[in-house]
Amino acid sequence: MLYEYDGLSSLRPPDVVVFPRTTEHVVQVVKFAARHKLLVVPRGAGTGLSGGSLPCQGGILIVFSRMKAILEIDIENQRARVQPGVVNLDLSLAVSDDGYYFAPDPSSQKACTLGGNVAENAGGPHTLLYGVTTNHVLGLEVVLPSGEVIHTGGKVWDAPGYDLTGLFVGSEGTLGIVTEITVRLTRKAETVATMLAVYDRVIDATRTVAAITARGITPAALEMIDGFTLRAIEEATHAGYPMDSGAVLLIEVEGLREAVEENASQIEAVCQENRARQIRRAKSAEERDLLWKGRKNAFGALGRISPSYYVQDGVIPRTRLPEMLEFIGQVGTKYGVKIGNIFHAGDGNLHPIILFDRRDADESRRVLEAAQEILAKCIDMGGSITGEHGVGMEKINLMPLLFSADDLDMMRKIKGVFNPEGLFNPGKVFPTSKMCGELRIEAGVGGVL
Amino acid sequence: MTTAVESFRTSLAAIVGESHVDSEPTACAAMAVGGSVPQYVVAPHTAETVAAVLKFAADCDLAVIPRGSGTKLSIGSPPRRYDLALSLKELNHVRHYEPADLTTSVEAGMKLGDFQDFLGGDGLWLPLDPVGGTRASIGGILATNSAGPLRLRFGSPRDMVLGIKVATTEGKLIKSGGRVVKNVAGYDLCKLLVGSYGTLGVIVEASFKLFPRPATRATWVLEPGTLGLARDLRRRILNSPLEPLCMFLLNSEASILLRNGPHSGEGQGLELWLEVGGSPKILERHARDLAEMGRSMGVPSRQLNEQAAESCRLRLGNYEQLFAGSFPDVMVLRATLPIAGSEEFLSFAQQVAEGEEVKIASFAQVGLGIVHLGLWGVKLGTAASRLVTNTRKAAASLGGALVVEQYPNGFKAEPDVWGPRGDHWEAMRRLKAEWDPKGVLSPGRFVGGL
Repeated sequence: MLYEYDGLSSLRPPDVVVFPRTTEHVVQVVKFAARHKLLVVPRGAGTGLSGGSLPCQGGILIVFSRMKAILEIDIENQRARVQPGVVNLDLSLAVSDDGYYFAPDPSSQKACTLGGNVAENAGGPHTLLYGVTTNHVLGLEVVLPSGEVIHTGGKVWDAPGYDLTGLFVGSEGTLGIVTEITVRLTRKAETVATMLAVYDRVIDATRTVAAITARGITPAALEMIDGFTLRAIEEATHAGYPMDSGAVLLIEVEGLREAVEENASQIEAVCQENRARQIRRAKSAEERDLLWKGRKNAFGALGRISPSYYVQDGVIPRTRLPEMLEFIGQVGTKYGVKIGNIFHAGDGNLHPIILFDRRDADESRRVLEAAQEILAKCIDMGGSITGEHGVGMEKINLMPLLFSADDLDMMRKIKGVFNPEGLFNPGKVFPTSKMCGELRIEAGVGGVL
Repeated sequence: MTTAVESFRTSLAAIVGESHVDSEPTACAAMAVGGSVPQYVVAPHTAETVAAVLKFAADCDLAVIPRGSGTKLSIGSPPRRYDLALSLKELNHVRHYEPADLTTSVEAGMKLGDFQDFLGGDGLWLPLDPVGGTRASIGGILATNSAGPLRLRFGSPRDMVLGIKVATTEGKLIKSGGRVVKNVAGYDLCKLLVGSYGTLGVIVEASFKLFPRPATRATWVLEPGTLGLARDLRRRILNSPLEPLCMFLLNSEASILLRNGPHSGEGQGLELWLEVGGSPKILERHARDLAEMGRSMGVPSRQLNEQAAESCRLRLGNYEQLFAGSFPDVMVLRATLPIAGSEEFLSFAQQVAEGEEVKIASFAQVGLGIVHLGLWGVKLGTAASRLVTNTRKAAASLGGALVVEQYPNGFKAEPDVWGPRGDHWEAMRRLKAEWDPKGVLSPGRFVGGL
């Protein structure tokens, strides 16, 4: 019952759930499935937001909660080798004393697993400067649907051959099941400056983001929270966000002391030019943590004020942010739904959160329509339907808006190379006439992003 | 000219236009790869005609090698067959440019130097210094995932590319990714195509994220004297907060080549070059810390004047030309190693070279574990094979791999310039068969004869 859910829920539960401890266990399960033509779905912590780990057509669910060993930490080579069930934050904590960490930091990093991060090519606030999961994974051990085990990449850069590691990352469990991951570790920065810029109007905040980008400053993180959302957060977490503001930007720069100082003062100047009413800089690690606590617990906070919500993940060019935020406001009005915005502004990666009550069928329908309209606008602007959450089953019907039949055909051929019978993670990524029944968008109260 | 050749020529002219097809022997000879000379040189001027040429080639079973500027075609096994050189040089336009968004889309044939000049007007750049330097084409850089020393700070083309458009042997144009900096919709075909050496499809256009050009750059040279001290220095630097743009260790032959060109004087022993970029304050901080590190370790350090540094950068970017002009029999080996293995590998390579009585110039990106060895005076035959086998064994024993990137005419690498097939090779073979069922794209040039 529990495994019917991640950030989404599906109608069909898995027929059986297995908890392997070793690659060999996974191989045996997969071979069994192949012999009996059973479907197989891999699952980490189930924190995904696109339904990627849902067994929407039944079958065997392989849960990686018992494959959570950090197999090797190799500081001099800046690498670690882990099993897929290792929790993202646990890896960073394990190498923290050596002055290193794993850079991709999804908001669910206290719970989400590295295997899930690999499957969805997860992002996070700090991937603005450091890149997403694919930029930090160098090697994989993968079990193919035939039961064959292959190794791609490794500890070194540029292993000869096609970059299958890069192909597997973000393939959402449709090509193979990852059983071991070699990642790159990043040295912690010398200094971090965390700033909160407070605005009366959303448009000034979005203009600031565009101006920071245009000046070629790349903060480590550049997050925006609109007034509606930050009031919900503040009531729940007391992060110190001003209750009467129209929007805030949470900006972090890190690196060499001198570089941080220069970037921080340039950013402060840009904020002021764009009518920030106040700019606060965290004076201590505690203050910094508090500012981030608000950001990272936002979804729980919204859960307190709405029975259900639906999070989106579209991406647009950063120059178009002012226009887009205005558009999202209009869409909310048009469909009579409340939409909050809390997102990775520096990447142009939107997360509009549409609040609703799933018991209200008409409102649920309007939510879906509003969501589709926002994503269509992202595509119009030259953007994408997903920046970090994945297509999963949630967005399969939008794929034809983004890709031509030829594009999709080539992706299908690639899927056919690895997963010819479609036994691994069916109903994901590709548009299909056989949908997993009706997708119920009752994303969790207290769901994590 | 035989009738078949003439008939293919006419058909190709019908696709791309008479002036875009050449079958003159001198033009074809200039396109030779691994000793093979094609019969046609075709230079389409649109992405659509690239796709049409590929389809035609597949239908008629003509083997095609795509090329930009040809600076990296020495990499790979000699082709099994080769009929048509597909030049991308006429696809050389910037298709989209959004400086305020730090994104751009550019055609594959554009030369990196021209592209950098274009971006420079807005203080931007694509921070790449690949083999071939400014002459390298965007498509060639992507097809080989070629990155030079700047990779330490900025990553490789794989990390900068946001989207690609690819012509397939089915005659189609397909895309992956887009123009936004974050995108996980669909399979990441960019990763698959980047570094596929023209064996799956032909990249005709790519979108990149752009970076601000550092306000100023400065280069420091440290002389550790021994590989042991070089290793200690590398550890100190990588564990410090310093953020160099690049860092590489040269042996004395390499430093002579880099500083003065070939045959010009005595080397000065090992040199660790570090380049730093940014504001005066950032440069000052690096100067202070590097000088202090040098002092505490007894390693002399000095700053290079910017003019000398710039000409060294140019030579480094064009090192394959530097070698080709001076040492036509050069063999270039590229080892990718765990970072900690670089110095040990260098020590081993030096011994092997001495044993075989060949000269060796080593360029080691010690912050990344990527080592280029230039060897000349290599005797063909068993000595050459032994040299490759032994250095490859050394790389493998350290957990790395070794590729022969350039070899003298007549060299037969056994078993493969790429090294052994891994357990993922069968998956590679099946992917190749989907993309290029007739096997007309760069046949036999890639790992395991793909």
